[in-house]
Amino acid sequence: MRIGIDVGGTHTDAVLLSGSEVIASTKALTSADVLTGITNALDTILSEDGVSQSDIEAVMIGTTQFTNAVVERRELSPVAAVRIGLPSGNGLPPMVDWPDDIADALGRHTYMLKGGTLYDGWPLAPLDGDEIDAAVADIKAKGIKNIAVSSVFSPMNAAPERDVAAKIQAAIPDARITLSFSMGRLGLMERENAALLNTSLLAFADRVVDAFTAALKARGLTCPMYVSQNDGTLMNADFVRQFPALTFASGPTNSLRGACKLTGLMDAIVVDIGGTTSDIGVLESGFPRESNVVISVGGVRTNFRMPDIMAVGLGGGSLVSDDGASIGPRSVGHRLVTEGLVFGGDTLTTTDLIVAAGHADIGDRSRLSGLSPDTVTAGNQTIHRMLDDAIDMMKPNADPVPVILVGGGAVLVTGGLKAASTLHRPVNAGVANAIGAAIAQIGGECERLVSYSELPRDEAIAKVKDEAISRAINAGADASTIRVADIEETAIPYMDEGNTRVRVKVIGDIAALAKKETE
Amino acid sequence: MQVRAEDIADLSLGAVFLATGGGGDPHVPELICIEALKTHGAVELLAPDDLPNDAHVVSIGGVGAPTVSLEMLPSVDDAARTLEAYEQHVGRKVDAVVSFEIGGANSLIPITAAAGRGLPVVDGDGMGRALPEAQMMTYAIAGVCPSPAVAYDYAGNITTFTTPDTSTYERHIRSLAMASGGMITTAEHPMTGAELKPAIIPGTVGFSVMLGRTLRENRGRADQMLPVLQDVFAGSVYGECRLLYCGKVSDKATRIIGGYDIGEATLTPFGDEGGQFTINIKNEYLVARLDGKVVATVPDLIVIVDYETGMPINAERLRYGQRVAVFAVGCPEFFRTKRALDAVAPRAFGFDIDFVPLEKIAI
Repeated sequence: MRIGIDVGGTHTDAVLLSGSEVIASTKALTSADVLTGITNALDTILSEDGVSQSDIEAVMIGTTQFTNAVVERRELSPVAAVRIGLPSGNGLPPMVDWPDDIADALGRHTYMLKGGTLYDGWPLAPLDGDEIDAAVADIKAKGIKNIAVSSVFSPMNAAPERDVAAKIQAAIPDARITLSFSMGRLGLMERENAALLNTSLLAFADRVVDAFTAALKARGLTCPMYVSQNDGTLMNADFVRQFPALTFASGPTNSLRGACKLTGLMDAIVVDIGGTTSDIGVLESGFPRESNVVISVGGVRTNFRMPDIMAVGLGGGSLVSDDGASIGPRSVGHRLVTEGLVFGGDTLTTTDLIVAAGHADIGDRSRLSGLSPDTVTAGNQTIHRMLDDAIDMMKPNADPVPVILVGGGAVLVTGGLKAASTLHRPVNAGVANAIGAAIAQIGGECERLVSYSELPRDEAIAKVKDEAISRAINAGADASTIRVADIEETAIPYMDEGNTRVRVKVIGDIAALAKKETE
Repeated sequence: MQVRAEDIADLSLGAVFLATGGGGDPHVPELICIEALKTHGAVELLAPDDLPNDAHVVSIGGVGAPTVSLEMLPSVDDAARTLEAYEQHVGRKVDAVVSFEIGGANSLIPITAAAGRGLPVVDGDGMGRALPEAQMMTYAIAGVCPSPAVAYDYAGNITTFTTPDTSTYERHIRSLAMASGGMITTAEHPMTGAELKPAIIPGTVGFSVMLGRTLRENRGRADQMLPVLQDVFAGSVYGECRLLYCGKVSDKATRIIGGYDIGEATLTPFGDEGGQFTINIKNEYLVARLDGKVVATVPDLIVIVDYETGMPINAERLRYGQRVAVFAVGCPEFFRTKRALDAVAPRAFGFDIDFVPLEKIAI
């Protein structure tokens, strides 16, 4: 059996899964120290009849703590940003386009060194030993222990980053260093930003992982623990201590993955209706469709892949016009319980509409006597039209698709949706995130710019694949179960033929669990 | 009129719209341009007619693979240094600089250079949009010699060209760009004021700022933005503006042939009704068809925007599943002559169709 835990800003959810079956679930408030919320959730789960600590094979945790730390500028350590790339990029130092408050939080300790390579491996400039020594001495004098090192075209040649990191480590033995190439993808500033955010979170990651470990230990759980990443896969505790930034956006991913598990649908639209918005995502072969735009985290451009989510201003607290023809995007949000008509307030909301139509029994129905039946009918039509339009835009083609409804506002959908071939309302939809965390596997990803004219396509792809596989194994995957999830090839315009960006993603079972099954 | 640091975001957004899918990501050039204007102050924008006939003007911009500069960043003073190198090469001072391509990042490089050197920028450019090759520029079409020209690379390496025709120059400069890490800055196609006036698409820099501001202030569903855009284009060198289609990208297949991103995108309607829409891509969006019937072609502008926000989408970033709208905008008068059409009509890109001006195509 596995336990999945989702630590959100408001709620800490947990589920106990046996195979595909949800044995127990709980929703508790997130505590200020996070730890108490988790132990409370574990207490509820473990109090289930016939479940003992020794039955639990693994605990998977999804957490928004690292994203929130960046967004709220909390828990961020000072970081030295070392970029190897001169003479290119002169005058554009690291963090040049960051919001002031977060650049200040990291401390604006930037160093620009000569080195790096062109796209074809030709050196931009040789590394300059004296220049490196001066930078390292300055970092040491400032007492900075967290260092991010980036280098031009490091996804193709990481040697400059490694060489400089070795010098830093030798001078500052307890330095913690993130090399930008290990954060993937081409695009120097975005990759460097990801490495900087990651580095600034390393100390916090230690505290978070320690807290998770302590919570499990306090409840007598000795099984391995994993944390969700943004692509719907897991990393082990050691990996989280090195790469906390990879947890960004794991929440929506887990929600979509959980909806997949709950319904068994691999290709579907998932509509998560909350108080203010409906968030619409797409499942493709059981994984979220990824957004292709540059993702900003707390105002910082990064190269992380995030699920493609469309937010529509329609939720349980959305304001309804007097004729019912227009709804949202304004919402009373969490004040629904005081401002909605059925709760004695004087604001007409979508929740009032469905109560008036007799589709739900919430609050005091008698307060709706003054509401015209025409408004109720028109309002309900508007709700369905808005969702139909939005789903229609997200689905891959004109054919109707299965639609999975989750979230507290799912009660708003009372009729059929034209865009939906079938409509699913899974039980346990409220803890879809925790389920998504519990079912995740371990992944590895690698992206390189390769030249098919120098290295034949098959060999080039195999090389990128090998690197992705070794990353998955480092993250805790069982080598014998690893399979390729995705290969993406993008040719580069205005370059010689054959210059291609290759990205390979692999997924495998958790090594610790696979071992247990064979024993 | 002046271009100030606070105009750059709008100028850049307008320029991406006019880039018709090409032109690269303007984020870094934008940062650099803003930096230059903050350091050196605003740049004077000079109407072509206000330029003395004997003025010495040079066009300046980036040549190569914009994707590369996402990894190997340009330096803040590349543009000014290119200009310096040009002045040294020809042995005289330049009176003003001008853009060769308003579409995309190349709208910003002349402003960056001018700020660093305290020179004015001529309000106008050599394309009125983005186009993939130098011989498609109005300056080249009007018979301006590409050289003396100077190229400047990431390490400050300087290469000079003495090449009589633009097609040969284009071939040489591409090879140099590859050897120089994929991207170079060039000062080329020098002109006197008298030569420039009939060769330029006038007013496009100031227009880009206005277009960008309009897009930003009216950000929202593309179909609802149409009347506002029609107003803006009606008062410009472009004229006609149409909304051709709204739908989803149901297929996009491109591959690199000879350095160009060549292929086709297919769009299908949001609902059950409406035909199928296809767009041919060669770095830029070149030919648009509805159920096989041509509804717009190069040199008229075909622009794909995000349906929800009206923000233009680069061809490299266009992908399956995106919800988009397609606008078409009439090209400037300059491209309507036979000589110009020989260089920029669909046949110049290998399509076996004639150019029919947008306003003559019945919808």
